[in-house]
Amino acid sequence: MLRFIGWEIVKMLHLRSVRLGLVAAFVLPIIWTLAPGLKQVYGLVLVSGWQVPSLALLAGMEFLYPFLVAMAAAEVLGSEVSMGTLKPLLLRPLSRTRFIVAKLMAALAYPFMVLGVSLFASILAGLPHGLGGFFGGTGLGGGGFAGEGFLSAGAAFTEVMQAYFLAAVTLLPIAALSLMFAVWFTSTTAAALGAIATVLLMRLLIAFPALKPLLLTTYLDLYLLPEDKALGVSLLLLAIYTVVFGMLAVVLFERKDV
Amino acid sequence: MSANGRKKAYLAVEKVGKLYGRKPVLEGVSFTLSPGEVYALAGPNGSGKTTLIRMITGLAFPTSGRVLMLGKNIHEGGYAVRRHLGAVVEAPAAFYPYLTGRANLERLAWLSGLAGAAERIREVLFTLELITVADQPVGGYSLGQRQRLGLAAAILAKPKVLVLDEPTSGLDPDGIQKVHEILREQAASGVTVLLSTHHLREVSAYTDRVGILGAGQLIDEVVMEGASKRHRLRVSEPDRALAVLQTLPFVERAERKGEVIVVRGPVDRVVKALVDDGHNVYEVTADYFDLYEYYRERIRNA
Repeated sequence: MLRFIGWEIVKMLHLRSVRLGLVAAFVLPIIWTLAPGLKQVYGLVLVSGWQVPSLALLAGMEFLYPFLVAMAAAEVLGSEVSMGTLKPLLLRPLSRTRFIVAKLMAALAYPFMVLGVSLFASILAGLPHGLGGFFGGTGLGGGGFAGEGFLSAGAAFTEVMQAYFLAAVTLLPIAALSLMFAVWFTSTTAAALGAIATVLLMRLLIAFPALKPLLLTTYLDLYLLPEDKALGVSLLLLAIYTVVFGMLAVVLFERKDV
Repeated sequence: MSANGRKKAYLAVEKVGKLYGRKPVLEGVSFTLSPGEVYALAGPNGSGKTTLIRMITGLAFPTSGRVLMLGKNIHEGGYAVRRHLGAVVEAPAAFYPYLTGRANLERLAWLSGLAGAAERIREVLFTLELITVADQPVGGYSLGQRQRLGLAAAILAKPKVLVLDEPTSGLDPDGIQKVHEILREQAASGVTVLLSTHHLREVSAYTDRVGILGAGQLIDEVVMEGASKRHRLRVSEPDRALAVLQTLPFVERAERKGEVIVVRGPVDRVVKALVDDGHNVYEVTADYFDLYEYYRERIRNA
């Protein structure tokens, strides 16, 4: 199974949208540090390179990263349909469940790739501002960018790593949802649009307070560790969403005409 | 030639039907194929050939009926049933364009759990005359090369049932000849071959049976051996002769075609019966069975 997942990841990395997404994730932090309107938008003057990752994360998680993840997860299956390679694979003595689970694993790996590349580029872009200890905050911990006094390099690194990890985790249900739509529609565009539309719809449903704790979108800013969210419960809910969407993809694919 | 009923069926299609919404695309299609038998599916566009092939290969699910491959239900019997299946269901066959022909086959061999894959891959590449381009990315292959690589992939794991949708589509005359040679060899070695084709004259030389699909139904099945036993007779009073022939129990079929009568049955007994009835028999020739003409006539009448 591991070899199969590895092959799916290699195939995914050949997809144009995936490569473009990784390029975008790399370029965004670099552009952001050069943006002349940074002070107007965030009220921020960069005092440390450790603040660049949070800038990239705040900007990317608003729309770009969820969109990139939805596109990639949809194309993981959609590209096989459009290239015509899905049928030859399913003609082999291969379990459909195994096949789609491998694709799901590849799709779930992508948020970590995007955010890994973004983090790497952020640190590169932050180098000119220094990566030592500083007075202020990373924007991802207590006190926001103003911070709570002196922050050591180690503490800043931990905050940034934790935030990026949590951000990647919050994108997992979107990847699973998009793959489920890809199975349903057997189309990259329809699946990506379906996933994004679902997320946008959930954002609108925030107007129903009773639903708010159950909505996926409530947890998309989990990486900021807001005090009103219990981390364990939030992660559990995200895991449930991911598993349910993944299982629906498996069930739908098992009897899908291709 | 087929030996239905004597050998265990490799492929049995039993009353297979398919609905898209409320629209029937296939209705009650049944046939059974024995080891070594070649069965051609013919029919106009939209007659349901490709849908039927997708269901036979397990890619699509029937609304009614079932498909048995070596006795096991291809849809319910688990993926292991497909170990015996080789198929090309699209023309041209699709591969990962950034991988070489050999690398594509290596991955398919791995998915099939094929032992001794490297040697077998070299063998099929050689058979399909692709050895010189084997290490080039498939993205640079011509249509014909891709189609031949598709056939190479289909026979790679030495299947017992070979299912091909338009296997000669996009091929040049040499390529077409090569595909027919391979299909004959596969059938001779005991592989059951099912193919869909519009090129009936090409396949009539080695096909055992032809199933004619029209509007989602199997409207006719032509047994090619029987077809080649037809004779054309030029006789006196053809109308009366035809009426006589139609009463004879050993005459399987008799029909008027212009000035001649085409009859299927033991020709010596037919001639004797006509002479005994007082007819002059001017000419008896073997009737070259034109499958394509027959198909056109059948579709027109259907």
